Amino acid sequence: MSIYDLKGARVSPMEQARTLYYKAEAYGHIANMGLRVGPLTMLGHLRSKPWLKVLLDCGTLFDMSTKGREGLYRQASAMALSRVVKAITETLEGVFTRPEYTVMHEDLVPPEIIYAMGLNPWMAELLGIMGPLIRSDFAERYIDVSENAGTPPDICSLPKATMGLALKGEMPRPAAILTSNMPCDGGMSCYTVLERELNVPTFRLDVPYNFYDERSTKYFADELFRAVKWLEANTPGRMDWDRLKEICDERNRSVEYQMELWDLIREKPAPLAGEALYLGHMIFMVAMPGRPACTEYMKTMVDMAKRIRAEGGALHNERFRAALWNPPTLVYPELIAWAEQRYGVVTLMDMISYNRHPYIDTKSPQTIMEGLSRIIMQGPMARHTRGPQTNFFTDLFDLYERFNLDMIWMAGHMGCKNTMALNGMFREKCRERGIPLLIIQYDLSDTRVVSPAEIRKQAEGFMETVIKAEPSK
Amino acid sequence: MKQPVSLPRLINDIVDSPISPLVDKAQEADRKAIAYTCSFVPEPLLNVEGLFGVRVRAPGVSGTPMADTYLSNVICSTVRSILEFVLEGTFSSINGWVFTASCDHMRRLYDNLDYLEHPDFIHILDVPHKRSEAAVQWMREELSMLAEKLADKFNVVTDDAALSRAIDAHNEYLALMRDISDLRKRDHPPLTGAMFQALIAAASSSPTDLIIPHLRVFYETARNAPGIDDYRARLLMAGSHCDDPHYIRVIESTGALVVGDRTCTGSIPALAPIDDEGDPLTVLARRSLSNISCPRMMEEFDTRVEEIIAAAKEFRVDGVVLETMKFCDTWGVEASPMINALRKAKIPVLRLEREYSLGSEGQLQTRVQAFMESMGK
Ligand code: SF4
Ligand code: SF4
Repeated sequence: MSIYDLKGARVSPMEQARTLYYKAEAYGHIANMGLRVGPLTMLGHLRSKPWLKVLLDCGTLFDMSTKGREGLYRQASAMALSRVVKAITETLEGVFTRPEYTVMHEDLVPPEIIYAMGLNPWMAELLGIMGPLIRSDFAERYIDVSENAGTPPDICSLPKATMGLALKGEMPRPAAILTSNMPCDGGMSCYTVLERELNVPTFRLDVPYNFYDERSTKYFADELFRAVKWLEANTPGRMDWDRLKEICDERNRSVEYQMELWDLIREKPAPLAGEALYLGHMIFMVAMPGRPACTEYMKTMVDMAKRIRAEGGALHNERFRAALWNPPTLVYPELIAWAEQRYGVVTLMDMISYNRHPYIDTKSPQTIMEGLSRIIMQGPMARHTRGPQTNFFTDLFDLYERFNLDMIWMAGHMGCKNTMALNGMFREKCRERGIPLLIIQYDLSDTRVVSPAEIRKQAEGFMETVIKAEPSK
Repeated sequence: MKQPVSLPRLINDIVDSPISPLVDKAQEADRKAIAYTCSFVPEPLLNVEGLFGVRVRAPGVSGTPMADTYLSNVICSTVRSILEFVLEGTFSSINGWVFTASCDHMRRLYDNLDYLEHPDFIHILDVPHKRSEAAVQWMREELSMLAEKLADKFNVVTDDAALSRAIDAHNEYLALMRDISDLRKRDHPPLTGAMFQALIAAASSSPTDLIIPHLRVFYETARNAPGIDDYRARLLMAGSHCDDPHYIRVIESTGALVVGDRTCTGSIPALAPIDDEGDPLTVLARRSLSNISCPRMMEEFDTRVEEIIAAAKEFRVDGVVLETMKFCDTWGVEASPMINALRKAKIPVLRLEREYSLGSEGQLQTRVQAFMESMGK
């Protein structure tokens, strides 16, 4: 990863020490995982899964997220990353120590169910998402493996990286796979390869296309019941409905805090932005929801945001507010910190975070399953890439108002055909509403398609010619 | 290759024009044309009295600049070509559109067409990705909603009796086409794969009742004709959309004979008879979901492979051509494991990736030649 385009902020030794503390804490989480898994076993995993080494580079993610930031915002960003690393190492630990209890799942399958059955949820796409965030070229060797095996170059690089990991024999082998037809054709189809390469039983959930009605909720909830039965038959897991209720209650508590956080970031200047929002959401609300650590994270961020508000906002010179739509630019996460520094743009919302967050009615197993169905169907990416176009635009224009935005940045990942096929409409609709729109052409996980420098150039061009913003010196 | 029979002129005319002349004829009789784009749409539902289904094609499309502005250039060119023709006004005589949420590309075609054209009648069927009983029930409800909407909009009857009549009429067409298809199982089939695809393309883009007499004339000629005896190899074509007989003609210009087609627009399993017992909507729902030849049916990889192997045996082919549309994600991912599985079953396979409109014929011929040589043909 490169952070060459970020200027270091002038911070006090105390602030520097705090950042170092969180960085050290993150490395401590990694070391702890090694100890709990067992040093020798861990060495074996390091040999068979070389991608694990990327964790040792997580310091660069800290540098990227803190280098240009000051005060409590800097602290919140470092704290967020430390917790993200902790959550990831705990997941990996489960995968390594209890493979027979591990269920690999696609990112739009409710992990709460797996968790409540005493099993380890392991989101297959996690590596393809986190890897490039830490080291931008992380996914490229796996993309190549996938393409050499015959997958065409135009298929989204995220499923390609995920398939590549399995084809290269570096994907941990779970007890079972639970997947679905989401979020897109490429994402769905890649499980044909995963199932065959990992040679484990697989269950696929069918999610309706147009899901804003009770009929769809019922259909999907029934699918979830069938998945539970199937998991009971194919893994040592047993559903504990009381446990599921506790998990969903916990999730509801996290959502309350997240809603409070959203209210806070509506204010100008925003008291929080960037990784603390999007990465925290991705890990705690998408990959590992319903755990006390998730609520704790959201609560901490609310507290931090309140303190940062009292300090005068995350960015003292906030000039513009933006949403970064689509999955964030994994190969160039510095874009967010860079935009803050160069043009005073805060990034407040993104497609992954913009969940509808319906609360789960935990009255009965039926209401719980229906609640989980709604969350998934109305969840990040799902309703934008799969449902009718109105989902995509209604949400975007809604959040544009809700967060008092000045512009939308669309991370126009070329492999995401669902969204590529909406760009024409997108431009016209934004023009009608007078919303400045930047469509960044790039590939989610492959820097060879568009380099980070080119991504930055596109953003510069837009800011200076469309927005007429003066870059800061 | 010597061809003992030729196609009726009308069939050739239909194949080369985006709107079949028979569509105009039916519309003159006050019947409404309902366009559809995907094999998951059950034709009999669009063929009730007063309506007829038209599977749209874009023959002769020479580029898709307008469609690319909206859909981008990374979308399947079948879909882009259809939108291009829509934007050019080629389909302006169509009375309504029925889509399926079958793949990402088709869904976005629906979105863009709706946004750009606001057709008077447009509907999208939410087709499940599996064929469980719950999925059949869901699909039945989808069809029932569509039937109601069609009845309201076009003032037609879509009740059980009307549907049963439409199923019977469609079965007549299917039986005739199966008879023609069976001729291809002969050691020396009287017709080429390109001819057969022309018949299917013409039939699916015309009112069935008006095309049947022409198909029958062809069948009567073909069944008594001598067979083609100078081909080098028998091939089965499997894969995605291929409604262009000229593409098959180029393959066959190398001396290969395409005797079976398990594509989205082909005959297997599309020509299987429709059950005429029981609740018609359930029958149609079950039939749609039993079409697992498209990889969007996510649980059926193994069955898909088995069915290709079975078809290869039934039509006694020397090899399989797996043709997939460029940018199609489901086929893009599935093609490699499928090729591996077919090769494991000792079936020679040639993978061809193609665009909707025919290009670089020479390259295609060279690849097919090399494939036949690799099979010792
Ligand atoms: S980014 Fe788009 S194409 Fe890639 S997995 Fe997500 S929805 Fe699919
Ligand atoms: S060829 Fe593939 S992408 Fe194109 S319409 Fe068919 S399933 Fe969709």
